[in-house]
Amino acid sequence: MPPGDTIPVTVLTGFLGSGKTTVLNHLLASAELSDTAVIINEFGEIGLDHLLVQRSTENLIVLNNGCLCCTVRGDLVETSADLEARVLRGEITPFRRIVIETTGLADPAPILHTIMADPAVSRRWRLEGVITTVDAVNGARTLRAHREALKQSAVADRILLTKSDIAAVDDLAALRAQLRQLSPATPVIEVVGGRVDPAEIFNVGLFEPGGKIADVSRWLAEHAQSASHGHDHDGHGHDRHPHDLNRHDDRIKAHCIILDEAVSWNAFSYWLELLAALRGEEMLRVKGIVAVSDHPERPFVIHGVQHVFHPPIQLEHWPSDDHRTRIVFITRNMEIGDLVRTLRKFAGVSGPTIVAAEAAS
Amino acid sequence: MQADLIFTNGAIYTVDRNRSWATGLAIKDGKLVAVGTDLQVDSFKGPSTRAIDLRGRMVMPGIIDVHNHHTRGGQADLYETNILPTLSFEGVLDVVRRRAAATAPGEWISGGIWGSNLVGRLYTIAARDALDAASPDHPVMLRDDSQHSRWVNSRALALMGVDAATPNPANGEIVRDPDNGQATGLLLERASTLAETALARTVQDAAGRNVSSTRRAVQILNSFGVTAYQDANTMLPYLQALAALDAEGGLTAWCVASLPAHQPLMGTDIFGDDLIALRENFRSRHVRPDFVKLFMDGVPTTRTASMIEPYIPDRLYGCCYRGEALVSVPELARWIAKCEKQGLSTKIHCAGDGAVRDTLDAVDVVRSFNGPGRMHQIAHAGFIDPADIPRFASLNVAADLSPIIWYPGPIIEAIRAAVPEPRSSRYWPNRDLLEAGALMAAGSDWPVVSNPDPWLGIEGMVTRRNPKGGFEGALWPEQALDLATVLEIYTGNAARTMGLDALTGSLETGKSADLIVLDRHLFKIPSEELADARVLSTYFEGELVFERD
Repeated sequence: MPPGDTIPVTVLTGFLGSGKTTVLNHLLASAELSDTAVIINEFGEIGLDHLLVQRSTENLIVLNNGCLCCTVRGDLVETSADLEARVLRGEITPFRRIVIETTGLADPAPILHTIMADPAVSRRWRLEGVITTVDAVNGARTLRAHREALKQSAVADRILLTKSDIAAVDDLAALRAQLRQLSPATPVIEVVGGRVDPAEIFNVGLFEPGGKIADVSRWLAEHAQSASHGHDHDGHGHDRHPHDLNRHDDRIKAHCIILDEAVSWNAFSYWLELLAALRGEEMLRVKGIVAVSDHPERPFVIHGVQHVFHPPIQLEHWPSDDHRTRIVFITRNMEIGDLVRTLRKFAGVSGPTIVAAEAAS
Repeated sequence: MQADLIFTNGAIYTVDRNRSWATGLAIKDGKLVAVGTDLQVDSFKGPSTRAIDLRGRMVMPGIIDVHNHHTRGGQADLYETNILPTLSFEGVLDVVRRRAAATAPGEWISGGIWGSNLVGRLYTIAARDALDAASPDHPVMLRDDSQHSRWVNSRALALMGVDAATPNPANGEIVRDPDNGQATGLLLERASTLAETALARTVQDAAGRNVSSTRRAVQILNSFGVTAYQDANTMLPYLQALAALDAEGGLTAWCVASLPAHQPLMGTDIFGDDLIALRENFRSRHVRPDFVKLFMDGVPTTRTASMIEPYIPDRLYGCCYRGEALVSVPELARWIAKCEKQGLSTKIHCAGDGAVRDTLDAVDVVRSFNGPGRMHQIAHAGFIDPADIPRFASLNVAADLSPIIWYPGPIIEAIRAAVPEPRSSRYWPNRDLLEAGALMAAGSDWPVVSNPDPWLGIEGMVTRRNPKGGFEGALWPEQALDLATVLEIYTGNAARTMGLDALTGSLETGKSADLIVLDRHLFKIPSEELADARVLSTYFEGELVFERD
């Protein structure tokens, strides 16, 4: 199915007490969510009574702005089938967007895997982006203490920094620096009282149905800038770690690989499959745009969370004038040398490679 | 120091490259404390030392069988109907008819092994009708010489709940008559599980029977001189039986276990990660659960081996069929890396050259990502593309060879019906592997063969001919190995592939006193008599565990 026929899904995550529910409550009241289905765990948690117009069944209600709100019935697979069936029966009007709120303690990876790779779900839905709330007052401590929180931020496409109005200025700067290291290309938006502009959190995906690229240029551009310091002139990038301070191994890093020459898609996708098999646990998030030798004018967009990759999307055209392959890896306990060495061996890449590694956490 | 036991006046072949021959040995607490001249070992003699004069007999380290299915071998010996793979179709029916006459109606008749060369006759209802006529009152299940196929009669199909409408299981086939769609009774690969499960349901005290089968298997192995072996597919009930037998002192051989990664043909619910998680519960002095078993393909006789070049066209698969790999390279690499992380090696079944190549590719992937790691075994490794031979040594992969099933005989004839020339004659490139520095070991694959006699394999590797006669010619004689190399393959090299080399595999001071006394001097007889060699006595950890009457 072409991406235009699937419904984009935004996953809203964030640690306990990080203000996720406040953000959601604000969003639910806005007119922009009129064609959106919101999937949450419990109605009671967000107090919908003042928005309530119509209760369709015990797990589905329609708000006065037209937003559908439903609780997870069984698992996500069941919920997606249930929603589709209700649309087909005419019980609810078709929706164009989905927001899923995860529980605060959740590792977001399994839910992302279900959306990307479960055939029953990926037939209907596609992962648009991950929005993570981080509490400006307690965020630094939470990131230190909880691996789930670290992972929620590392895989984010947008970070919403909540309670920034009551955080000390120095603390806020330190937290911003920490988040920047965790996920260098992810925009961090300060949010007070949950008042987020819906336009800021939608349209964050790698592609849009009409071939319009919403975000790919931005996150790639930021990496290209930092990577330019580490240009690998001799063609052997694996011993160059320009931003790697080698403090310790157990940490999250962002790596960026840029290739000037187009790759064979067969060899390149085989390498991705090997990466997923051998480094699935260590690869928190992979996003990239790939120039392929068969169709150099039509790049592939790749998108993976741990060992699961979204089916690759071939774009109609390049999103910008930069037609190089650019891939960002957010990893834990993984060396850039492993990536470059295996890329050269299994994807048949021989030309110069630009690599950059940014140490974090 | 005073030894418990000394041997003198022997022709002792040590398989120690620093000192190949000795005349005397001294043993204390199950270990060798001296290997040398009679004079040297005499100094270990005390008042309570037992002394044995070998009177010139040849002694060598105990044989190591790197690939068998010991529990099923013992079980076949104790409980099942023995069929020789050389029997004709009518010969098999005769055995079934005789067994049926001696078995209470309704009881299962199970056993094997029929030759793969019969498989072509079993694709029709007519064959099932003949088996039904030979055993109208008993369910019958007969295994083939590859152990990957079963032939059952109508009563067995009924007890299995299989009829024309039953779908094929994943990776298996219930073969149907092309005209009327009826199940013919021939079950390929995973479909065999349906029959094994139905049979297993009828067995009383399965646990006790497994211990008895294991005990019997080790007795049989010891009688052929085997003092260490690797079980090639060790399911949970077999591990439990090994642990029970070792606890009662009955396990008189080192056993390396290979835990199945995927659900085995024989049907058990616990395998893969669940079984690996339990492995330390069964580790004991003689039981080493240090391997995981994976299957990359089936066997060439049923065209289920994964080949680089196509099979000879046939009715079932038509033209250009190459077999299929059961596991993808990335998935196999993921398994190998996962096993290495847990201190486990893998034993990977590869009957076709395509499977061998995929497996070497997977190891290459693991080495490329993770650097050097544990040694792994490719099991069977008969068909190997010349380009892949040097990769065994460079990737630290050992070849687990199956010499007893490859010299000219019924299996080779069945393979020649499926695999075209010249590939079918380019089978078992042992000399090329040796020259490329590959580490080789050899296994019986018992009960794929009717007994685990290593001496047939030893002669076959030297002569490339069938030691039992009856089949003319030599298979690719340029690949013959010399006797010293073959004995190393059956002892010290096998120990290395199994991770037991610090313990056994050669007669050196400090190693376990695992040794055999032979009725002839192997280096002083014609090669054609090697298979006639008989073990007079077998010692395991310095104790006599077998003595010929």
